Amino acid sequence: MKKLVLSSAVALALATSSAFAHFQMVYTPQSAMDKGGKIVLKHVFTHPFADEHTMDMAGVEEFYVIHKEEKTDLLSTLKPITFKGSQNSGKAYESEYNARKMGDHLFVMTPKPYFEANEDAYIQQITKMVVNVAGLPTDWDAELGLKAEIVPLTKPYSIWTGGTFTGVVKSNGQPVPYAEIEVEYLNHDVDMKTNSTSKAGKVEAPQDSFVTIGIKANKDGEFTFGIPKAGWWGFAALGVGPDEEFEGKELSQDAVIWIQATDMK
Amino acid sequence: MSKKIFFTLGLLSSFAFGHTALMSCFDNGDGSVTCEGGFSDGSSASGTNFRVEQGGNTIIEGRFDEDSEFTFDKPDGGYIAIFDAGEGHQVKVDSKNIVE
Repeated sequence: MKKLVLSSAVALALATSSAFAHFQMVYTPQSAMDKGGKIVLKHVFTHPFADEHTMDMAGVEEFYVIHKEEKTDLLSTLKPITFKGSQNSGKAYESEYNARKMGDHLFVMTPKPYFEANEDAYIQQITKMVVNVAGLPTDWDAELGLKAEIVPLTKPYSIWTGGTFTGVVKSNGQPVPYAEIEVEYLNHDVDMKTNSTSKAGKVEAPQDSFVTIGIKANKDGEFTFGIPKAGWWGFAALGVGPDEEFEGKELSQDAVIWIQATDMK
Repeated sequence: MSKKIFFTLGLLSSFAFGHTALMSCFDNGDGSVTCEGGFSDGSSASGTNFRVEQGGNTIIEGRFDEDSEFTFDKPDGGYIAIFDAGEGHQVKVDSKNIVE
């Protein structure tokens, strides 16, 4: 009997942790652009599938773009905004960038660690997102040697619905065998004008394990995930970075990458 | 010697036909326009032919530079920028789609 209670408690604890799958978003509506132009980005710390809570971002450590192997600092382009999720509002940022030149514009954003009171621990999600102009591949597969990084083996912006995404989880440039990865679908439309998400989700999860899908990398740190629906998908490799403590508390240094799938029509 | 030349040509032509040619142009806002060329495998269009046509006549002609770019004075009126990488590999961009 006691054992049963204990296992229920474990189940509860698990349910709680699954309900709080955080994802740092660096969002723009279109990652495959026909021609150059202005890109507006929204930097929001949220739960993309359930959208049950938008966190207050603690600030940004680093934000830059890489184009044709050239790094441009964009930290000063960030402006604080309030982002309204379907349940609450949180501190977020927006930025503008002029992607005139053809090729890949690889954005990297490292937020300051966020204190998650429920877990009495900090979370820092080093996030990559790529926008391509006019189809020329230049930097999408760059290995940046970040503390926590998912290096894509599939172009993150040219994936048909029903296709797959393959990436390698790395810590300081080294593959992370059997890394734990959480996958979530951005289930709520983002309104770029009002800085908010739609209340209704596009799909419903039949059960909790579909909200945040847990997968694992193989022995070489590689993983592949089939993409069943058009839109944005986030991948977060948990606790793969070398920093394990921040201000005396546990820190999970995660690697996040966003990919966008498009319907064939 | 002739074998070597043949081999090099073969490689060049398979390179040109194996990939899609790509071009993107933007108005620099100072009276000039820059076009960038490239191929879908990420290779450069440096040294390949570029021209600007107006009413079917070629008004500007040259080659993409080492950065795979060609900058020209913006003609008065409508024009078409053409990246000519050989037969089946022409990319045309209409001036009405070239913005700042």
